[in-house]
Formats: sequence, C-alpha cells, structure tokens
Amino acid sequence: MEYLYTIIILVGLYVVLASSFNLVIGYAGLISIAHPVFYAIGAYGSALLARDFGWPAPLAMLAGALLAVAASILLALPSLRVSGDYLLIASIGFQLGLLEIIKNVSWTGGAGGLTNIPAAFAPSTPHWVYAVIVVVVAALSVLAVRAVAHGAYGRAMSALRDDELAFSMLGRNAVAMKVGSFALGCGLAGFAGALYAHQFRYLAPDQFEILQSSAILTMVVVGGLRTTWGPVVGAVMLQALPQAITFMNLPPSLLGPLQGLLFTGLVLVFMFIRPQGLIPAADVWTGAKEAHDVGRR
Amino acid sequence: MSAVVEIRGLEKRFGGIVVADGIDLTLTAGRVLGLIGPNGAGKTSLFNLISGVVRPDAGSVRLDGRPLDGMKMHQRARLGLSRTWQNLRLFPSLSVLDNLMVAPRRYAGESLLRLAFFPGVVRQAEAESRRKALQILERTGLADVANKPAGGLTFGQQKLVGVARALMNDARCLLLDEPMAGVEGQAYQTIQNVVRDLAASGVAVCVVEHNVAFIRDLCDEGVFMFAGRVLARGAVADLIADPRLTELYFGT
Repeated sequence: MEYLYTIIILVGLYVVLASSFNLVIGYAGLISIAHPVFYAIGAYGSALLARDFGWPAPLAMLAGALLAVAASILLALPSLRVSGDYLLIASIGFQLGLLEIIKNVSWTGGAGGLTNIPAAFAPSTPHWVYAVIVVVVAALSVLAVRAVAHGAYGRAMSALRDDELAFSMLGRNAVAMKVGSFALGCGLAGFAGALYAHQFRYLAPDQFEILQSSAILTMVVVGGLRTTWGPVVGAVMLQALPQAITFMNLPPSLLGPLQGLLFTGLVLVFMFIRPQGLIPAADVWTGAKEAHDVGRR
Repeated sequence: MSAVVEIRGLEKRFGGIVVADGIDLTLTAGRVLGLIGPNGAGKTSLFNLISGVVRPDAGSVRLDGRPLDGMKMHQRARLGLSRTWQNLRLFPSLSVLDNLMVAPRRYAGESLLRLAFFPGVVRQAEAESRRKALQILERTGLADVANKPAGGLTFGQQKLVGVARALMNDARCLLLDEPMAGVEGQAYQTIQNVVRDLAASGVAVCVVEHNVAFIRDLCDEGVFMFAGRVLARGAVADLIADPRLTELYFGT
C-alpha cells in the first residue's frame, strides 16, 4: 500500500509539473527548458528554510514556490524584453548553471544531496494523508491553469501567441503578460518541488537534470498540448507505465533500458500517428461557456 | 477644431533609404485625412512612426498635446491611438468576437493579480466588453460571423474585422492602413460609413489608401507623400488633378 501511495504522490506531482509546463509552453507559447530547475528551487528553498531556519513546513513550501516565482521573473524579464528566443537560450544557461551551483556549494548538500529534511507532518500521520494532499494540489493546479487559459487572460495569451505586434498595438503589455504566465507556471513547479522535498525528505541534484525537461515535455505533447486534461493523461501514463514494468520481474539490467525504450517509443509513435496528442486542442480558443452563444442572441 | 496628433520634424532612415524626411503634419479632431503617394513614399512608415512600431531618428509626435517620444506601442494605444494593418494582423486562433473582446483600451483580464483577487471586476468588464463588441459587429455587418474563427473569413470580411477591432479602443486618433485593399461590395460602403461616423464623433482619422475614389469620397483633405516627404496638402480633388503629382505617382 505504501508503494501505491508513493506512486500516487509522484503521479500527482508530475500532473502539477506537466500542467504548469503546458501553461508556459502551450498556452503562453514560451519555449523554456528550465522547468526542472524551478522544481528544484521550490524543493531546495522549502527544505532549507524548514531544516536550517526552523520554518514550519507549510510556510516553507509557500516560500519555496514564491522563490521559484521570483527566480522565473529574474530570468524572464531581461530575456523576454528582447525576444522569445532569448528565453530558450537563457533557460538552458539557467538550468545548467543553477544545478552546477547546487552541486558545488556545501549548504545545499552538494552532489551528495540534501538530507534530514523535516517531514510535513508528524511521523504518526498515515501515508495516505499526504497522497490526498498531493492529489488535491494537483487538481487545484489543473483547475487554476484551466481558469487562466480559458478566461480573459487566456484569450489575451492566445492573441499574443498569434501576433505580438498587433497585440501590443491594442494596448496590451506583451512583456508583462509573458512574464506573468511564465512566473505562474514556474511557481506551480516550485510548489510541486516543495511538496516533493517534505515527503521524500532527501534531495539530490540529479533528480532535476535537464533530461527531466524532456520527460515533462513528452507528458504534455503526448497528452495534448494546450488542453486541460492532456497533460494530466500524459503525466499519469508516462509515470504509471514505467512503474508497471517493474512488476514484470525483469532483471535490473533490462528494466532501465526497457523503461527508456518505452518512453522513446511512445514519443515516436505519437509523432507519426497522433502528433496532436491523445486529447487534441481545439483550432480556435474557447472561453467561458457564455462566449459560445453570443452570436445566436 | 483641435489638433489631436501633431507631428513635427519626423525623420527616419534605414541605411540609405529615407522613409521620413522632416515630416510636419497635424491630424485634427473630426476630420479625415488621406495619405496619397506611390509605393515606397513612406505612408505606412509614417503610421509605424506614429504608433511606435519604429522609433524616429529625430522629431516628435504628440497626442492631445502629450509627447509620445520613447513610449511603447501599448502605452500609445492606451492613450487613445488605434490603427489597422495593411496585412490584416488578425488573431486567427480567436473567433471574430474574441478578436474584438481582446481589444478594449483597458483590458481587465490582463492582470493575473486582478483575476485572482478581483474576479468580479473582471467579469463585469468582460460583460461590458462583450456588449460593446456585439454593437460594433452589428454596426459593421459582422454579427452573423461573431463566433466564426477570424482566419476563416473572406478577405473583405477580415478587413472589416480589422476596422471593427480598432474601434474597440474608443480612440482619439485612428490610423487606417489600406482598409479598402481587396474590399468590395457592401463591405466597401460599410467601412466608408463607419469612418464618417467616427469622424463626426470627433475622432481624428488618417487613411492610407491606393483607391483614389475612396479617398476622394471620404476624406476632408489629402496629403501627397513622396520619398518620405510631404509634397502637398489640400483638397483631394486638387491633388489628383495636379499633373506634377500624377507624374510622381504613376512615374510617367
């Protein structure tokens, strides 16, 4: 049962990561590969505040998410003032650079990892409580992204993605909107990191490597870019399937490569057979339900 | 009649190409000014300079007496400067209605903080915006296609959507860049009527258009541009009749 709860927690965290990445890369159209490092900022920030400064875990988690928001603004503001392409370049540098710092300073635990992270709850608390909390956070994250992407803000994001020049000439601040969407997506990733830290109580820099970025991207693309439920389906599938293989009693020397092959195979299959993902996005932006019957009044 | 836009000594060069060579021009409230000139005369470039798409090398632009120098496009638009584009620049992933609803001068849904803490304010602004957008769509004959994707309309309808979208700003000054290119039939008349009504309500309108009949029928005054300079200003009929300008226009 404990194993099942752990899987549920991991799937929930990846749902948050995939949904928030969908906001950044899908709805806002911002190409960044630094999502894992914002996950790390939330995790390390929250863990250090709780462990070394005695902050209560819930407060440290919020602070971890806010740290991720602040870091994302620092990264996005200079890059997005110039052009979206610079965000991609800056995000590569930020991802690689910050992870190197984490690996090489003593107060993060260095390459050996950060240990003795305080648990979120007393040791007697049943494991399922945390699983429920993560599932609730995942559901709220999905709904928050949906509300943003399919409300007035989402309409503007869609217009911005179509034509930034025309968008600006309408009085819309394109830079502020891009930075805002990016910060929200990264903040959610940071909160997922904080949840991870206080559950597993050990952090290693390797968990946040750049390859994580392709894993999260695959979840979004396979599930369905710019859809509410696509990243959820993608995260569940790509987190649960590799776990399912472990029940096949294969030798460990085969298990690792098989999981990798499954992952790559899925991407290739979807690229050729269903590039729009399992849940295809609508061609035209759709908003709140009252938007649909306006023309018929 | 009061000056809405005042342009003084506007200069812009791209390498050896001069697109604005000391332009002085005033756009007046309630008047429609037509910009005439051959391709490459600097008409669209002048619109780009006024709206902030490109920065001038020298000179100034004022809107209602307020200098726009150094301001970004969105800041100028928020002061009441609106424009359309020669090459449409609609948002194809939005419906016609949403193309308009994203265009009010102040857009409540632009701030995540406002969405989170004052959702009621955003809802109210959205309802007002929808009402206004529907009125404009009715006025421009686009009500039937309100929920259609903007990219799926005929070229003439898309031109109309561009004009309709510009109206959402409640602008003090409207710059129309070739609104009639590819437009015929009912849409032609609709755009004329809309522009006339706007001018009558006190908006300063400036139109770049190669359709001389449209300019002659619509504009109170015309300006002839050539090589980034204003060569003449006066009644459109007089400009068209001037053999010197006709020669520059047609190169004969």
